Amino acid sequence: MTTTDDTAAAADLGGIGLDDHVERSRQAQRAADRWLIGGTILMGTAILGIVGLPLFLRGLVLQRRAQLAGLSVRPIIVTLIGYMVMLDGALNTFGWAIDLLASHTYASRIFLPTWGNMFDAGYFWHYNNLPVGGAGAPGEKAWEVLGIFVVFPMRIAACIGFLQMKRWGHQWMIVTCWTGMLMWVGYVANMTVYADLRFTSVVFPVVGWWVYDIFYITPFVALPYLHTVNREIFSD
Amino acid sequence: MNQQDRVKRRALIAVQVVIYGYLLTMFLLQLRLYAQRDW
Repeated sequence: MTTTDDTAAAADLGGIGLDDHVERSRQAQRAADRWLIGGTILMGTAILGIVGLPLFLRGLVLQRRAQLAGLSVRPIIVTLIGYMVMLDGALNTFGWAIDLLASHTYASRIFLPTWGNMFDAGYFWHYNNLPVGGAGAPGEKAWEVLGIFVVFPMRIAACIGFLQMKRWGHQWMIVTCWTGMLMWVGYVANMTVYADLRFTSVVFPVVGWWVYDIFYITPFVALPYLHTVNREIFSD
Repeated sequence: MNQQDRVKRRALIAVQVVIYGYLLTMFLLQLRLYAQRDW
């Protein structure tokens, strides 16, 4: 995380030795991460999302302050991409895992058909009436298996490495942004092909779904940055 | 950023434009269906 230029600059700071600088940077990063991780975990549960947001923003402020103070902390852009993708992975894992594996729990029966009633009737139509349970939309279970067991665990692992500024984290972040793009291209095609089933009688058809989901669709916008960022800032 | 990275970034942005174009097309298609159907 500390580059040669940073350490040289730190060594020049009046009255602060290199070791002090490194220690202060580590502490500042840890303090910011504590808020950022807490906020992301809460937001990742979806139900407690509104509580998590201010915690996350507080972490971001601490991160920015540390950067302005000249400490060698993680760049803001890396922080934002890392946590945004982690949040995407956590949210989708939570929602889809309870639909696939715990569709008869109170949380599922309240949360998912409500989502279905508002935006996507794939989560309302014959909910828990088909043999597997949960959402009955054509193809939905296949997406859930792919997401829960392959794409999202890989994505969350990539985020951890990426936020630690590890080389493997950077490489896997690239992989997971591409897989995210593949998933959304397929999922949106499914939504369009079965639009009659998924949007009939919902409160906010089409526009409501897009407003809600566009934030999850966007992480692959980071790909040009990830492919061309100076790889030397990520350490082996 | 060197020349190779600049070309790479341009190509990746072009890919993004294509993908966002596809997503926009799907959105407009759904809107058209919405206008026609009694949802």
